[in-house]
Amino acid sequence: MTTANDAMLKTERQPWGLRDTIWTALILLGSYFAWDVFGSLMDVYEIGILIGTAIFWIWFGRYWPSIQPFTYATALLSLLAIWTYVQNDNAYSVSETAFFLKFLVSSQSAIMWMSALFVLSTVAYFGGLFGKSESVSKFATFLAWAGSVMGSVGMMVRWNESYLINPDYGHIPVSSLYEVFILFAVMTTLIYLFYEQRMRTRAMGGFVMLIVSASVAFLLWYTFDRGAHEIQPLVPALKSYWMKIHVPANFVGYGAFSIAAMVGIAYLIVAKLQEKNPNSDFVQRMPSLESMDDLMYKTIALGFAWFTIATVLGAMWAAEAWGGYWSWDPKETWALIVWLNYAAWLHIRMSKGWRGKPMAWWAVIGLLITTFAFLGVNMFLSGLHSYGEL
Amino acid sequence: MPNPTPEKAPKKHRRIQWLPFLGSMNLAVTLLMMLAIASVIGTVLQQNQAFQDYIIKFGPFWTQVFNSLGLFHVYGAAWFILVLLFLLISTGVCVSRNAPGFLKDMKQYSEGLSLNAYKHQPQSVTYTPENFDSEQAEKLLQQQGYKVRLHERDDGLTVAGMKGRWNRWGYILTHVSIIVICIGGLLDSNLLLKARELTGNLAPETRSVPLGEIPQKSWVGSDNFSFRGTVNVAEGQKSDVLFLPYDRGFLVQKLPFTIDVKDFRIEYYDTGMPKNYASDLVLTAPELEEPIEKTIEVNKPLYYKNYAIYQSSFGDGGSKLDLKVHPLLAREFKPLEMNTSVDQVETINTPVGKYRIEFNDFKLHNIIPASEEEQNETGKKMHNNGPSIVFKVRNDQGKAWEYENFMTPDKQDGRWFFMTGMRTSTAEPFRYLFLPADEGRGLDRFFEYLTLINDPERTQATLNDALPAEGVDERTHQMQLKLMNQLLMLFRRQGFNGITSFVEENVPPEEQKRVRDYYINQTSLALQTLYLSVLEKEETQDLESISEFNKQWFEDAMVVLNSLSNYGPPLYFELENFTHIQSTGLQITKSPGKDVVYFGSTLLIIGVFFLFYLRQKRLWLAFDNHHQTLTIAGKDTKPLPETEKEFNRLVEAIQAQTGIKQ
Repeated sequence: MTTANDAMLKTERQPWGLRDTIWTALILLGSYFAWDVFGSLMDVYEIGILIGTAIFWIWFGRYWPSIQPFTYATALLSLLAIWTYVQNDNAYSVSETAFFLKFLVSSQSAIMWMSALFVLSTVAYFGGLFGKSESVSKFATFLAWAGSVMGSVGMMVRWNESYLINPDYGHIPVSSLYEVFILFAVMTTLIYLFYEQRMRTRAMGGFVMLIVSASVAFLLWYTFDRGAHEIQPLVPALKSYWMKIHVPANFVGYGAFSIAAMVGIAYLIVAKLQEKNPNSDFVQRMPSLESMDDLMYKTIALGFAWFTIATVLGAMWAAEAWGGYWSWDPKETWALIVWLNYAAWLHIRMSKGWRGKPMAWWAVIGLLITTFAFLGVNMFLSGLHSYGEL
Repeated sequence: MPNPTPEKAPKKHRRIQWLPFLGSMNLAVTLLMMLAIASVIGTVLQQNQAFQDYIIKFGPFWTQVFNSLGLFHVYGAAWFILVLLFLLISTGVCVSRNAPGFLKDMKQYSEGLSLNAYKHQPQSVTYTPENFDSEQAEKLLQQQGYKVRLHERDDGLTVAGMKGRWNRWGYILTHVSIIVICIGGLLDSNLLLKARELTGNLAPETRSVPLGEIPQKSWVGSDNFSFRGTVNVAEGQKSDVLFLPYDRGFLVQKLPFTIDVKDFRIEYYDTGMPKNYASDLVLTAPELEEPIEKTIEVNKPLYYKNYAIYQSSFGDGGSKLDLKVHPLLAREFKPLEMNTSVDQVETINTPVGKYRIEFNDFKLHNIIPASEEEQNETGKKMHNNGPSIVFKVRNDQGKAWEYENFMTPDKQDGRWFFMTGMRTSTAEPFRYLFLPADEGRGLDRFFEYLTLINDPERTQATLNDALPAEGVDERTHQMQLKLMNQLLMLFRRQGFNGITSFVEENVPPEEQKRVRDYYINQTSLALQTLYLSVLEKEETQDLESISEFNKQWFEDAMVVLNSLSNYGPPLYFELENFTHIQSTGLQITKSPGKDVVYFGSTLLIIGVFFLFYLRQKRLWLAFDNHHQTLTIAGKDTKPLPETEKEFNRLVEAIQAQTGIKQ
């Protein structure tokens, strides 16, 4: 017991080690390289974003060491893809012929790998939970990590490919509904993996990966039925550095809210079964109701904080693109509705001390509201924010 | 409030009943949810539409109900503002009630409590240490991020630690930020204009009239505190006014500067999608020695003082149009020349009445998705139909027909056509006629042919020459020619349907089929004969073998002639030439509240992080001199599941330092 506690104290205050030095050096090197090669194409804000990202990523790698191998894997595979393109005179068409690109790291292949890995991970998490197998659960975690790596490789390579198709088209791949769905799947999985480590349980993995699998299903339909994976140039309104910060911030929010809702569902199931039979195997294997309730709070707090940032950034961008920071545009208004909903949730919990079932139900309903803000507005309501219509 | 005067005491008593309600969480959450629901309504129900559209959608009854509830302008409705106001008051009361306590609590180490009080804290452990050194304990707590105070009690020593007290600032910052943001928004609202409207100093203009005719009451001076409006300026023109949408009309805002638009440009991707919109502007103001020259783009506005000028839209700025007007009933091919421009109105007198022509728009490109065949052929996904004009033709009674005519022919199924679309209501899509182009890709042959059909004398002569009397007497021949002429007139007026209905009305039923077949046969013969004479005149045609092209042309022309009677007023406008003049849509804002809102937003973000990620924790080490025991007590302001664990960990660390006497 004591040793476990010591270990916990250690993870909290780890001294600076060789690992951190290498990490920092590589991030600085990578950022410098990016600036050296592409600096002439960036405006002052984009250089600011690059510096900010580097600092944040150095800190984040120390705060959550697991992100270090994730970053290394993403970088190596992305570089492999870029290198293969360079070997073939940067012709986009080689994504169909060059071996590595065709089967592994062209953006389409990487995204297909991500899709498969995430679905397998979901199955494995549930398999581990119901088959009472710790090793299967561990494998599920590995699959989730691998899927996240492939997803982020897909996005990185897609970024490069957009410039290969036509330098005019080039943009960070967070501009269309197709692209942000990849971002959503990766982001949600990473946030979940973070809490999986913190909570030391893999029992909720299946529930959370269920929503990631749902987004993968949508992604596949969107690819094969609508051909949405084709890289399109940006509409003038989206040509701005704001996109690089507004969209990712938003998806930390969406991802965290989704996890809260899926944990809410797990909570409700466990609570129901516990009433029937408190000693059932399933209830024993799931985390305690209290800790799930706490995780809901933590993810909603995280989501709320980032969603606030994203909405403020969105307002600032709107002020620059449309001349007003707030126009009661449907997307803006629904962002406000989502924000108000979670603000109410947090108020009730923090001030009134509500816990348990009603809050779990509310978190689930919150996801419906969030989904409408994310997808429904694009599908049913018109407005200024009509990118990536279905 | 120390020492309230006796008179005021009862008043204060009454206020106390109100304040808990206004500051209550129930009210706050209710208001948050009301705001959310109102916002939902505002997005589901399209806002600020024309009243007529609502009636079509909901019927008169519900339109009335919705309107009286303000649902068509939710975000400006009195009740919506009231909810916002209550939320502000509620937040304000909440902050003013809690903040002083919280600020005090931030400094409160509670180092002066009794030993017994520490033993009753949420977390508490008492044991006998081997040696307790308060300085060492202080260091340990400081290492863990605690701020420490020492207190000598009668019966011992207390080391009191606290960390995460900025959490309390999180509460204050988030709530104050909401008030700040609302105030910022209020600064940018049109409340002052509303007030001026109420006192009768201001009345929005609802007609669309030239600037000079707008009454002074609809003008707003450049002293206006905040505004957001748009203005369309043509290339080469300038503006020092702005139009502010207001209620169901608009106001004219005087600007303290003048904007010249030198040029407006649209750049395109190779797909045909617009890539960028840009305007070259020159801003002159009395206080400026040198005018400011800047190119604005979407996402790259021009800031001048507290004004911002945005690229918002674009349109036609009065492009010059050189037209040929073809009267469709004319008997000779002699089109009228017309030089006009977009936004101009012209009148034309014709034998069938006087028409007003309103030129509404000119488009340089009409880019549409390419058909599958074309995509396979050229590999391009988009297709450009070329320049077009949109205009309305209005008769004396005011009935209008709207047209869309393309300047250049477009290839369809391997043939070239001039497209002309017509509709009588903007709710309908255009229905198109496809005028076949001749071999020179022009319309000459079409109008040669049409004017020939229109002219009974030339028709008569042509038919006479081409169809000699063979095997019939002269009288029968003349009658046949006369019949042909009459059939042609009927055909021109109503197409083949006209001939069919003429037969149905005038011929006994048993004869109808025979007569109709004969008439249509004769009409076709006449039309073919006339067509051959047109071809002969072109001198390009060896009459023995009519080329595929000319056969096809005839078929296509027949389709057009057959439905020409549904084309509205008998005029065709051919766009010969143009000078493209664009206008840029500028949005100009003066937004003094913007920085206030941004400041509030910054407070909000900082506050949210303080609130969620700093936990206010207190820890006490109270040494009892009597029993030589140490009491470790802890308290979290907001206990979490990990509170207990963290406390135990700290206790272990302290115990490791002091040792435990068995």
